[in-house]
Amino acid sequence: MRRLLPLTLLLTAALAQASGWSHYGGDAGGRHFSSAAAIDRGNVADLDVAWVHRSGDSEAYGEEMRLTSTQGTPILLPPAAGESLVYCTPFSRVIALDPGSGKQRWSFDPQIDRRGERPFRCRGVSYAEVEDSASCRHRLYLGTHDRKLWALDAATGKPCSDFGAGGHVTLYGDEGYIPGEVSNSSPPVVAGDVVITGSTVIDFAYAKSPRGTVLAFDKRTGAPRWRFDPLIGFPGSGSANVWAPISVDEDLGVVYLPTSAPSPDYYGVDRPGDNPNANSIVALESATGEVRWSFQHVRHDLWDYDTPAQPILFTWKKGGAKIPALAQVTKQGFVFVLDRRTGRSLWEITEHPAPPSQIPGEQTAATQPKPIAPPQLLDPFLMPDDAWGITPIDRRDCRRQLSELGNLGLFTPLKEDLTLMFPGSLGGSNWGGGALLGDRPVLITNVNNVPFSGRLIPTADVASGDAEHDHPAAGHRMVVTMQGTPYTVEIGSLQSFLGVPCNKPPWGKLVAVDLEAGTIAWDVALGSVHEMAPFPVPFHIEWGTPNLGGGIATAGGLFFIGATMDRQFRAFDVDTGETLWRYTLPVDAAATPMTYEYRGRQYVVINAGGHHMFSRGTGDYLYAFALPE
Amino acid sequence: MTRLLLALGLTFALPSLALTVHVVDQAGDPIPQAMVTITPTEVPAADLSDDGYVPHGVTATAGTVLTRFTDALGTVALPDDADARYRVRAQGFVDAYFDDLPERVQLAPMSLEQLYASYPSNVWLSQLAFGGDEALKKSFLLNCAFCHQQASPFMRNERTVEQWISVIERMNTYGARLPPEHHERVARLLQVEYRELRDNPERVPVPRDWEPHLSDIEMVEWPIGDGFSQMHDFLLHPNGYVYVGDNLFDRLYEIDTDTGEYTVYKVPHREDDELGGILGNRFEVFPKMYNYMGVHSFAHSKKDGNIFITPSMQQALLEFDVNTKEFIIHELPGGYYPHTIRTDERDRVWFTLALSSQVGMLDRKTGEFEIIDLPARTFREWLVLKSLPLIFWIDPELRPTPAPNDESIGLPMPYGIDVAPNGDIWVARLYANDIARIDAETLEVEMIDFPFNGPRRLRVDAAGTLWIVAFQDSLLVSYDPATKQYRKFELPVINEVPYALNVDRERGVVWVNGNQSDTILAFDIGTETWKVYPMPRQRFFTRDIEVAEEDGAIYTTNSHFPTYQSEGAVPTLLRISPLAD
Repeated sequence: MRRLLPLTLLLTAALAQASGWSHYGGDAGGRHFSSAAAIDRGNVADLDVAWVHRSGDSEAYGEEMRLTSTQGTPILLPPAAGESLVYCTPFSRVIALDPGSGKQRWSFDPQIDRRGERPFRCRGVSYAEVEDSASCRHRLYLGTHDRKLWALDAATGKPCSDFGAGGHVTLYGDEGYIPGEVSNSSPPVVAGDVVITGSTVIDFAYAKSPRGTVLAFDKRTGAPRWRFDPLIGFPGSGSANVWAPISVDEDLGVVYLPTSAPSPDYYGVDRPGDNPNANSIVALESATGEVRWSFQHVRHDLWDYDTPAQPILFTWKKGGAKIPALAQVTKQGFVFVLDRRTGRSLWEITEHPAPPSQIPGEQTAATQPKPIAPPQLLDPFLMPDDAWGITPIDRRDCRRQLSELGNLGLFTPLKEDLTLMFPGSLGGSNWGGGALLGDRPVLITNVNNVPFSGRLIPTADVASGDAEHDHPAAGHRMVVTMQGTPYTVEIGSLQSFLGVPCNKPPWGKLVAVDLEAGTIAWDVALGSVHEMAPFPVPFHIEWGTPNLGGGIATAGGLFFIGATMDRQFRAFDVDTGETLWRYTLPVDAAATPMTYEYRGRQYVVINAGGHHMFSRGTGDYLYAFALPE
Repeated sequence: MTRLLLALGLTFALPSLALTVHVVDQAGDPIPQAMVTITPTEVPAADLSDDGYVPHGVTATAGTVLTRFTDALGTVALPDDADARYRVRAQGFVDAYFDDLPERVQLAPMSLEQLYASYPSNVWLSQLAFGGDEALKKSFLLNCAFCHQQASPFMRNERTVEQWISVIERMNTYGARLPPEHHERVARLLQVEYRELRDNPERVPVPRDWEPHLSDIEMVEWPIGDGFSQMHDFLLHPNGYVYVGDNLFDRLYEIDTDTGEYTVYKVPHREDDELGGILGNRFEVFPKMYNYMGVHSFAHSKKDGNIFITPSMQQALLEFDVNTKEFIIHELPGGYYPHTIRTDERDRVWFTLALSSQVGMLDRKTGEFEIIDLPARTFREWLVLKSLPLIFWIDPELRPTPAPNDESIGLPMPYGIDVAPNGDIWVARLYANDIARIDAETLEVEMIDFPFNGPRRLRVDAAGTLWIVAFQDSLLVSYDPATKQYRKFELPVINEVPYALNVDRERGVVWVNGNQSDTILAFDIGTETWKVYPMPRQRFFTRDIEVAEEDGAIYTTNSHFPTYQSEGAVPTLLRISPLAD
């Protein structure tokens, strides 16, 4: 009987429409969901490695791997386009594989300009059929680290000669490419006749960073079609760029942009007011770039609370109504649910009063929007009595640190003395976003739950050479002079002298949110800390770890995710959060997995490139898992 | 735009040019009792060099904010200030803001969602049944509703049970005393009952309508301090100034309400004093705390005008010389937590010692203190109270603190105090539900049961009748010492938790502090009728009232804690005064 159930489900799945993965987020609306059900709760324990592909980056780039973050999710091309599995490596190389064997079919290397110290990332490529192109009908779009938008022939990987100059257009202006300031990480999207791309901007180091202009091009020729600068009217600022993936709503002819913070992240005196369109979901008409609506989830950001993830499009069915909706996870740990026709929140927005700033001239927003439901995905308060430690000694150390921090909960602005940042810029949620359970209104998302502390130091008081580290990684304190402001920002994780976070575990968790009930269905720790101790521990300690990367849900009742700092790739039961399967990868997997059916077999694929930001090893692996044949 | 030159008889520094505004709804019908608020946009820059505050002895000018209400025809006359921003607010309508106020303002109706969201805390709170456990609800109100509004929109957010417990535990570290055995149950009930209300907001009662008497008054506010301040109690002094204490930052604001100018005096403390004084710092993580003394309650000497202040964090009494602007620290011979303070006609200073269940008295003629014990309710309570010196000898970080319980054993908490016209001293004990009469001659104490819950502050009227708020019972209570009879009066707004009151002895009006309903309540003793005054800002939490003898104007302060949660995010001194005919 135990064997009959999986067989039945297999049959059902085979009868269903073949399940692909045509977009970075599974579909254009970023649901991270597959109708593939061959792998299910009953058989997932048998899941094993089907093939492993190595991109060759580790051998080719050696030391430069320390500047990579492997976040790429492959897509599966339709049969007409060659049915290859295609992904990009952090160095913007595009590789097409046989989906069944993992054997390489072609690769394309744009030979990017690798100057600068910014991390190399490439989350994926996008596919489109361009019917009026004789030479390059099925094509892939790639945004590179060095700010070029390429169109490639999906069958061969060769640049499309009818697109731009020799298959690419540049995304920078007459100033040319300036290494280290602006790059690309998320895949461009194709909406109607245009291909649209955002950018990644260094927004913490300069008062006036480059603009975060979103660009649209003719998908066939590469001719510019429109541009959108979210921060019009704020000449003293920049950024508000779109670094997370964009969602496309072909029915409404709209693209949804997750915009980030204006620059500089932690000091807003030179950008007074709410800074509308920054930290927002902005709906643009895809054909024209005209703004349909904008929903700002952080006003006058002083915390680097970018909109970190792809808006998730779904149908809200509460109370009998069927409303085209959008769910947005945020770094501050909220899930906003909006009517995507109007941008109106489907849950009442309560105005959360925010503490004032003590920095001269800084006018914080008096209130910040907060959905009345679902609840915040983490508890942003951490009081001295909540200090946690493995021993009484490190607990006392944490208590002391906490008692010396300014802390008025979420949206406490930084001051010249140390302030608690909980959640910090890591989130809450981050770029992994969430996965919807198909037509069910349940969103599963991974959440960070580690506190940070930070302060603004008058730059005049900072000794030369103190400013270093541009992210608060692995015990380092980020110290960055915000040029054009009077301050240097210092941020680091709040941890004891043993390197243990000062809050009670879990430090990373997986949360299932019922979007229509506005409740949390379940949450569980995500990750084991057994590899984070000074010496490896031979058994798992499921206290949750900081995590980067997303997960996917399948019709088989499973949620797959890597993301943790323990080299594990896990499958969870979507209804209970129970871990049903896990596999130890050679390095951490900080990418979002994907799944597809190919020739009657379901594969689950994840890119494992390590967690350099968390001082973990790097690699260039692409793992495919399947049930035994 | 019709702009009339009217002599409005304003007593504050606003231009005398006037404009008349007509507020209407979408059909063009007048909206009576629409609230029109004028906020100046040009305010002289203040010297904020003392950690964001005006330094000691330095004078600054507050941006005076004026609020008036339309009459039955929807019309209101206002000063015409070119450098101002206008807000027009009416119940059931969306706020409208203007830089240049038009002659006719048409307000848009709220959506149902906006309407429910606009309701003040008290009406939402009224629908929390706590599973039918009335005692639990009262325990919740007593322990959780004395700092801030409980059912403001951001308190009604969905939270997990764990998040609610975290909130409750955090509040208990700040000074709430919800017994631990109730935490999880309260957390679950808050989650379930707020969820039900969210799904069925039509169950929430409609707040009381704003009434016609509002067009006969005006409200003036003086913003002082910042979003971290807590302007707790204050004093309307015969010298014409209003003195307001910042409880968290040891500062005294001397405000000239004619000009809006105010001078800040920083309360001194002894060199070896620590933050939080002898009580210990409950607000470790609150930014830039400066409460070595804890400026609490005010009274002035009827002889020389000097102001006496209870520094709640110290075993001391503060005196402020209004002429030399010097502070004098009087060391107390005993007692803990100097709380509410009053003076009598014989230049004696009376104050409650809330933690040690005592009343202190400074006789200014002799300079001597008397400390009067109020009786313990049980032997255990007596033991706890007598152990206080030993307990306070221990460092605050190591000091044992008994877990709260429903009976508050060990903490009867003498709170409000007043001097009757016959010289008797009356005291209310918040947790013990009793009142005390102290014979001012013999200092003998008589304890009298209070048949309601939560006697927080009290006052005595001209006839010698006591007026007492019953906090968690949502009542105004009178006590006639002659007949020894209590009477209770339902408040005109539901589920208010009245913090304090004052009596206009001249006019026979009891003014009651609202804090959950964004109102101040006026009870006419003669007619036993109420008038309700809405506050000009949402989340306006008041703890003290002063009455101006000459015109019956009343003053109060917004001391919501934390203040930045109030609309506008700054504390204000508020005066409500009758308009000149």
